[in-house]
Amino acid sequence: MEITTERKGEVLVALTEDRVDGSNAREFQEAVQAAIAGEDAPVVLDMERLVYISSAGLRVILMIARALQGESRNFAVCSLVGPVREVFEISGFDKIIQTHDTQEKAVAAVQG
Amino acid sequence: MEQTYKILVVDDEPDLEPLILQRMRRDIRARRYEFVFAHNGVEALERLNEDEDIDMVLSDINMPQMDGLTLLSQIPDVNPNIRSVIISAYGDMKNIRTAMNRGAFDFVTKPLDFSDLRVTIERTLQHLMEWREALSSRDQLVALQNELDVASKMQQSILPTEFPSGAAYQSFGHMVPARNVGGDFFDILPLDRGRIGLAIADVSDKGVPAALFMMSSRTLLKGAAIGTESPAEALREVNSLLFDDNEASMFVTVLYAVYDPATGEFTYSSGGHDAPLIVHADGSSTLLPLTGGVVLGIVPDFPFEQHTVTVAPGDTVILYTDGVTEAMNSNRDEFGIERLQQVFASSPPGDSRDANRTVFDAVASFAGDTPQSDDVTCVTLQRREPAS
Repeated sequence: MEITTERKGEVLVALTEDRVDGSNAREFQEAVQAAIAGEDAPVVLDMERLVYISSAGLRVILMIARALQGESRNFAVCSLVGPVREVFEISGFDKIIQTHDTQEKAVAAVQG
Repeated sequence: MEQTYKILVVDDEPDLEPLILQRMRRDIRARRYEFVFAHNGVEALERLNEDEDIDMVLSDINMPQMDGLTLLSQIPDVNPNIRSVIISAYGDMKNIRTAMNRGAFDFVTKPLDFSDLRVTIERTLQHLMEWREALSSRDQLVALQNELDVASKMQQSILPTEFPSGAAYQSFGHMVPARNVGGDFFDILPLDRGRIGLAIADVSDKGVPAALFMMSSRTLLKGAAIGTESPAEALREVNSLLFDDNEASMFVTVLYAVYDPATGEFTYSSGGHDAPLIVHADGSSTLLPLTGGVVLGIVPDFPFEQHTVTVAPGDTVILYTDGVTEAMNSNRDEFGIERLQQVFASSPPGDSRDANRTVFDAVASFAGDTPQSDDVTCVTLQRREPAS
């Protein structure tokens, strides 16, 4: 599972793609953790190219959110589309995790 | 030869011992169960200390010297692998809930219904066997697959095997577990004033820890269902209890509903779970609105809300997990709720069991040879047409 990252000012944007389900949730978790480790920048997880996420994937996002909170780093997700947006709405994760329509808004929101 | 299970019965009422020996005599003669007795918590602990072969405790709550709730909290110190079932007065929610919180596996209510007691004992022992297997797997550091098999058996052991029905309604539930991933369960239980509670749920992870989380979710939900007046209140309570002891960030999505056969009123609350579908007698259907909840176990004191609809005679309520809607075919298309609605439009449900089977058949025929990647679970409730 590939997670690419880019800088938007001081914010670290991690781009997810494809699918996250029970079969690769652990791999997804390790990839995101590796991508955001070793610094103290705020993080935005961009899901524009993520086509599917299962509850196992949601749990990974929750654990990442908690870990970042523990490090006092801001965190948001953005650009949820199709089934991923639906899963966030039904599960109420849009109330648990800061969620934005666009990457720009998310970057602005998590910035110090 | 089948194993004999030793059950310690703890009650201060002298009538219970002869009654159990009489009503369970076949199982005793067949060496399926062996009963030993104690009359209060202190005596029970002595028994447990003397006799390592006791598998299960069946205990009353109100007793002199040491009551059943205190006993429950002390059993794990003697033997953490014993499962306990509490006998309580019907509607004594406060105590039932405390018992569930202290690790009771299940409860039965007075006056004792012996066929219900037998079902409860069997389910508890079944669960105990899976639990022991899980422990030995862990000790032996066996392959992950084996652990998942054990978790899946634990999951099966908490599902109900009998479904309430009456002159005005009938219910049915079924689950087909996926091989590797899963965490669904459901429950259908009689409540006071003729009402029934229906729950369907999906735990976020797999393996033995998730199976244990599932077990406490189910136990707490059952306690809350009987003790609270409304689904929203039940979810608020289960959410808080799960949150209190959730280091691993696990969560469970739950749809919990109360149905009143007398009025046809169906009140539901969603804890991050898919909305119920109502299929009418002509096959048309209505997807009910969500109630704005979140998954359980993550957010403390979340104000869950509920919604009430009236189920018309001939209507069938369908509760399902995402294993239904997210089942995939070889093109990686998702089954989706619309496809299910189309299936019912062309073949309106017969009874609740038939409607349930329609869901599983539709998912299976859509998926074709594509392996099932998640548990598929469906609970159906039908309001009967009045007899003419």
